[in-house]
Amino acid sequence: MIEGIIINGAILGGIYALLAVGFTLIYGVSGVVNLAHGAFFMLGAFMFSAFGPLGVIPALILAPIFVGAIGSIVYRLTIHPILGDDVAIMVVTVSLALIFQQLILLRFGFSAHVAPLVEGWTIIGGVRVSYMKLLACALSLGLFFSLWIFITKSKIGKAMRAVSQDREAAMLMGVNTERLYMLTMAASAAFATLAGVFIASSLLAGQASAYMWLQPLFTSFAIVVLGGLGSIKGTLIGAFIIAYAEHLVANLAPQGGQIVAAVPIVIMVLIILIRPKGLFGKRIEME
Amino acid sequence: MHLLEVENLTKRFGGLTAVNEVSFHVDEGELVGIMGPNGAGKTTLFNLISGFLRPTSGTVKFKGENITGLAPHKIVNKGIARTFQIVRPFRHLPVIANVMVSLKSPRGARKIEWLKTDERKALDLLEDVGLSELMLEPAENVGHGDLKRLEMARALATEPDLLMLDEPFGGLNPLETDFLTKSILRMHLDESSRGIVIVEHKLYALMKIVERVIVLHQGEKIAEGKPEEIAKNKKVIEVYMGKEM
Amino acid sequence: MVATYVKRAYSSFAAHVFDVPPRLLALLLFILLLFCPLVKPGQSIQLILRDTFFFAMLAVSWDLLVGRTGQISLGHALFFGIGAYGTALLYQYLALPPWITIPIAILIGISVAPLIGLPCLRVKGPYLALVTMALPLILSAVIKYGPITHITGGEMGIGPLPPLIPTELFQRIGFSYRESLPLVELANYYLALVLLFVFSVVLYKIANSKTGMIFVSILDDELASKACGINVTRYKLMAFTISGLFATMTGAFYAHLVTIVNPWFLSLMHISFPTIIRTFLGGIGTIYGPLVGTHIYFILDRYVLEKMVQLPFLTYTQWTYTRLLIFAAIVIVLIIKWPRGIARFVTDKLQDLEEARDLDERGKWIWKTYKKKKME
Repeated sequence: MIEGIIINGAILGGIYALLAVGFTLIYGVSGVVNLAHGAFFMLGAFMFSAFGPLGVIPALILAPIFVGAIGSIVYRLTIHPILGDDVAIMVVTVSLALIFQQLILLRFGFSAHVAPLVEGWTIIGGVRVSYMKLLACALSLGLFFSLWIFITKSKIGKAMRAVSQDREAAMLMGVNTERLYMLTMAASAAFATLAGVFIASSLLAGQASAYMWLQPLFTSFAIVVLGGLGSIKGTLIGAFIIAYAEHLVANLAPQGGQIVAAVPIVIMVLIILIRPKGLFGKRIEME
Repeated sequence: MHLLEVENLTKRFGGLTAVNEVSFHVDEGELVGIMGPNGAGKTTLFNLISGFLRPTSGTVKFKGENITGLAPHKIVNKGIARTFQIVRPFRHLPVIANVMVSLKSPRGARKIEWLKTDERKALDLLEDVGLSELMLEPAENVGHGDLKRLEMARALATEPDLLMLDEPFGGLNPLETDFLTKSILRMHLDESSRGIVIVEHKLYALMKIVERVIVLHQGEKIAEGKPEEIAKNKKVIEVYMGKEM
Repeated sequence: MVATYVKRAYSSFAAHVFDVPPRLLALLLFILLLFCPLVKPGQSIQLILRDTFFFAMLAVSWDLLVGRTGQISLGHALFFGIGAYGTALLYQYLALPPWITIPIAILIGISVAPLIGLPCLRVKGPYLALVTMALPLILSAVIKYGPITHITGGEMGIGPLPPLIPTELFQRIGFSYRESLPLVELANYYLALVLLFVFSVVLYKIANSKTGMIFVSILDDELASKACGINVTRYKLMAFTISGLFATMTGAFYAHLVTIVNPWFLSLMHISFPTIIRTFLGGIGTIYGPLVGTHIYFILDRYVLEKMVQLPFLTYTQWTYTRLLIFAAIVIVLIIKWPRGIARFVTDKLQDLEEARDLDERGKWIWKTYKKKKME
C-alpha cells in the first residue's frame, strides 16, 4: 500500500501542478482570483469528450485551444471592465462558473465519458499503474516545465513577470496589459483544460461531471497558498505535497474516502493562519 | 530630559541598511528639520519613531519613556503624531469626519453631548488650516493642496506633544507653501511646549523656519546644527551637489 | 399647542428623511412592504418577501463587515448556521421554547464571533476570503460526516422545531386550524418586517456613529487610521462581532420559521454567495444597498423567472437548468453595468438632482450652532 501511495501520489502531484499553475499564473500576472478556474477544468474534460469523434490527438489539441479562447473572450467581456474591484470579480467569476455548469448540463447532461488516450497498464514497484496515468503525469510535468522556461526566457514571459511585479511600470515600458491578461487567461484556461482531461481519464475512471468544478478550485487554492502566491516553484512543490496528503488521508484515515475532499481545504486554512506567505511566497513588510 | 530621544536607531531590510545608528534628540518647543537627498532614510526614520516599522536595533524614548517598537496607535496616544508624505485621506468620509476620527472622545459623557463637542473641535481645527468651507465635502473630491492641510489638521486633532511632518510642502505651489509656512510658524509660537520635526526636500522653505537641522545621507547622520552652519557645511554641499540650496 | 408640536415633529422628521435620498428610498420601501399583503393578498408573494426580509438582514450584517471595514468574508453562512444549529440543539436537548433558545443562540454567536475574528485579523485580502470561505465548509463537513452526527443529525439535520408563531395562538381566539394557517403566515410576514425595520434602524445608527466612522476609516486607509490613534485590531474585531451577532440572530429566527435545520444553513452556494451577490446588486457600503439588492434578487429569482414563459422547445428539466443560467447571466450583466450597485446608482442620480453642494440637515445645524457659539 505504501508503494501505491508513493507512486500514485507522484502521478497526482504532476497533474495537480498543471492544474494549479494556471491559477497562479492569472493571479500573479493580473491579480484576478479566478473562481471559474475549476469550471475551465470541468469544461476541458467535456470538450475533449465532445471532440472525441475527431480522434484522440485532434481532440487533445482542440479542447485546450477552444477553452482557452473561451477563457480569453470571457475575460475581456466580463472581468476586464471590473478590474480592481476584487469582490465584484469574485461574484462574476462564480456566476460564470455557474453558467458553464448549466450550459454543460443542458448540452451533455450530468456526465460524460472521457476516453483515455492510451490503454493498458504496467507494474511499477509492485503497483499496477495504467499507461494513461503515466502519460498524464509526463505530459503535465512536461507542460509545466515548458511554461516555466517560457516565463523565464521568452519576451512575453518577461512581460508577464514585469507586470506581476509592478503593473504601472510595465505599462510605462509599453506592455499592453489588456492583451497580456487575455493571453494569460487563455493559457490558464488551456492548462486547466488539460488537467481536467488527464484527471478525468486517468483517475476518475473516465467520468466527468458537470458539478466537478468546485473541488479542483479548492485544490488549486490550497496548492497556490501552500506554495506561495506568485511562485511557480512553490506551485510545483505544493502540488506534490497536497497530492500526497490526499493519498495519505484517503488510505490511512477512517472514512478516508469521504473526507479526502476536505484535505486541501484544511491544509489551506492552516497555512493561511500559520504562515500565509506559504513556502516561497513574497513577503510584504509594511502594508 | 529631552522630549524625543533617538539612540543608535538602525533598520536593516535583508541586505539593505536603510537607517544606520542614527541618534538625535528634540526638546520641548523646538522646531527641527531633517533633510537629505532621496533614499537617505528620512521617511524610514519617521516610520521607526512612529511605530510603523520595528527597528533592528536602537531605542526611541519619548518623555523619558521607552517607546521602541510600540504599536502605532499606542504611540499616537502617548503624544506623537505624524503626517504622511503621500496624503492618505479617508476618501469615503467628509472632510470634517476625517478630522473627527482622530479626536479622542471623552468616555462616559452623554453621547449627544460629545458628538457636538467633537464636531466643534473638528471645525476649529479645520478653521485653523483654512478648510472649514469644505467640511462636508467627501475627501475624494478635495484637491491635493487642501488634502495636505487636512493631513495636518488630522494630526493636530490628536493633541500631540510632538508633531512629525513628512514632506508637508510636497506638491504645493508657492502660495500654498507660503500659507503652510506661516501656519507652521504660528503653531510653533502658540504651543510652546510642542516639538515639531519636519522632513523636507524643499530646502528653502525648510531652512527659513527651523531652529536646528539634521542631515541624513544613505541612512547615516552626517551633519547637525543651525541652518546657517549647515548651509556652509562642505559635506552637506557635496551630498547635495546639483540640488537647489 | 398640540398642533405646533406635531408640526415641529413633522418638520424635523421631514428634514431628517425627505431631504436625504437614501433614507427616503428606504422609507418608501418599508411603506410599500407594510401594505403589500393587503394590496396583493396571496401566500406566494408573502412567503417570498418573508424570506427576503431575513436574507436582507443577513446581507446588511455582511455589508457591515465587508463594506464598512473592508474585511472580505466569503463565509457569512458560518454565523447563520451557528445561529440555526444553536437554537436547534438547545431545543433538542433542553426542550426550551424559541423565545429562550433564540437569545441564547445569539449569545453563543457573540462569544464565538471574536474567536473566529481573532485569527482572521492577521490575514488580508484574498487570504481572508479563502479562510472565511473554508470555515463553513469545514463545519459543514464535520456536521455531516464527523463523529458527532448523532447529535447534529448529519445531512438530514434537526427538526421539526417549534414555530415562532404557533397556530394555537389563533385557535385560542376562535379560529379553526385551517383558518389559522394563513393568519400565521401573515403574522410571520409582519414579524419579519418589524424585525427588519428595527434591525435596519439599529445598524443604521451604528453605521453613522463614531464607531461607524472609524470603520470606514479602516476601510479607506488602515495605516492612516492607525496614525490617528485608532486601535485598528480592536475595531476590526468589533465589526466582526457585531456582524456575526446579527447574522447569528437571523439564522436563529429563520430556523424557527422553516422549522428545520440542516447543513443548507452553512452552504457556500446557497447562503454565502447569494448574500454577497445581493449586497452587490444593491450597493456595497450602505444600509439601503443590501436591503434593496436582496429584494431585487428575490423578485428576480422567485417571481420573474418563475413566471417567465417556459421556452417551448425545452423540456422541464432543461428549463430549470436554463433558469439558473439566465439568472447568473443577469447577475453578471448587472454587476458590470453597475459595479457600485443599482440602488447606489439611483441615489447618486437623486443627489445630483438636488442643488449641488447642498449641505444636508446635520451640516446646516452644525454650521448654525457653531457660528452662534463664535458670536458669544
